[in-house]
Amino acid sequence: MKKIDVKICVGTTCYVMGAFQLQHLEDFLDKKSLENVNISGAPCLGCCQDKNYENAPFVEIDGDIIANATIVKIIKEIEERLK
Amino acid sequence: MINRFANNHLEIEFSSKIKTGEDVCGDDFKSKFIAAEGRYISVLSDGLGSGIKASLLSNMVTTMALKFVEDNVDFLASAEIMMDSLPICEVRKISYATFTIVDAMIDGTTKIIEMDNPHFIHLRGTAEVEHDMKTLVSDRWNDRKIYVSEFKMKHGDRLIFFSDGVSQAGLGQRGHKFGWKREGCLDYIKYLVSQDEDISARKLSQQITTKACTFNPNNRKIDDISCGVAYYREPRRTILLTGPPYKESSDSEFADIIRYFKGKKIICGGTTASIISRELKREILTDIKNKNGFLPMTSEMKGVNLVTEGILTLTELAKYLESGETKETAPSIKELVELFHESDIVDFVVGTRVNIAHQDPTLPVDLEIRRNIVKKIKVILEINYRKIVNVRYI
Ligand code: FES
Repeated sequence: MKKIDVKICVGTTCYVMGAFQLQHLEDFLDKKSLENVNISGAPCLGCCQDKNYENAPFVEIDGDIIANATIVKIIKEIEERLK
Repeated sequence: MINRFANNHLEIEFSSKIKTGEDVCGDDFKSKFIAAEGRYISVLSDGLGSGIKASLLSNMVTTMALKFVEDNVDFLASAEIMMDSLPICEVRKISYATFTIVDAMIDGTTKIIEMDNPHFIHLRGTAEVEHDMKTLVSDRWNDRKIYVSEFKMKHGDRLIFFSDGVSQAGLGQRGHKFGWKREGCLDYIKYLVSQDEDISARKLSQQITTKACTFNPNNRKIDDISCGVAYYREPRRTILLTGPPYKESSDSEFADIIRYFKGKKIICGGTTASIISRELKREILTDIKNKNGFLPMTSEMKGVNLVTEGILTLTELAKYLESGETKETAPSIKELVELFHESDIVDFVVGTRVNIAHQDPTLPVDLEIRRNIVKKIKVILEINYRKIVNVRYI
């Protein structure tokens, strides 16, 4: 099975809005999730450009943008996709 | 300015070690680059004795000498003014000042004026070049002689000048009854250059003072040990791009800067990196394992030496440089600083498109304006690091 791509934006806006914590996502994933995801960082995903920035931090999961990302939200998304 | 000096550069660096037991160095070194004239002036002075008194004396000398030389005041007259204004040594009844002044033009024309410091070394490859010297004597201070050497440097030449703390290192020790001496130091410098013909002025000066410390038991320093090195060669360049260009239509021109620049390349900024990645079709890799302390992690892009986040990184960079590299910092900042250390000319290309998100007062951190931080960094690099810095807005 193809791994799920998780890109955590570490551009300035996302970083100050909480991506700092998101970098540690790995530490919160269970074994099954860990084996099936590919986590990387990303310089600005471009979502903070419009008036949209209030919804930072952004994370991209297999091409879908998750706004107001939190560790819990990301874990849920991953689990959903692994079902 | 860049074009005029395109192929010539004089790297001037200095290293000193304080005499064991003292808090401040009694030797002083000052250096100045006068861009309008393409002229580099450096002065080394050894103050009488050691500690704070010596430091004051040597600082007076370097400050005055730099100013006199810069203003092209007749040198004998300047030397008299300096000697008149310094206190007189009780024992030797002389006003105590030593100096070595290096006054070099970007085309290699060089004048060296020396008084009472060990004679400078001019190295071409690993061979010493010797010069005829003119001697100047003041009527009023006729026990002091001033030596003037004039010559033209070629690319690859090095000038090495030091306080007697270097040549007298190990004085009285077995095997070094008269100290390391100028000859001993010269042999060591030739050895270092033969091992690494491109050794930077910074590394060479550090290695000379470090070696001079080893001649006394327990690396005890019996005097302040200082060494300056000037290295004449082609400049090494670094370019740093930060911020997206004001007009989106300039994106490809902006990316071409990275494509065609000859030298080290740095990108500071997520959007900036994304634009360049898109335009040049070069992938950006941001490995989550590249944790970077309290700053966002760095990325990698083919042909680029370093890719970092923008504002937070630049703000921290300015603070770190301002602290004299003493504060704790993130790995990316150390990498940036090392790239600057090893370059002579740093070009900043600052994109001026504003990210409105950064101006929102509800953000948990105050973000400075890119332009202002770059301005701050430019000043520090020019004054404290003697770099040539160009800033271009796009
Ligand atoms: S900084 Fe994350 S989308 Fe721009």
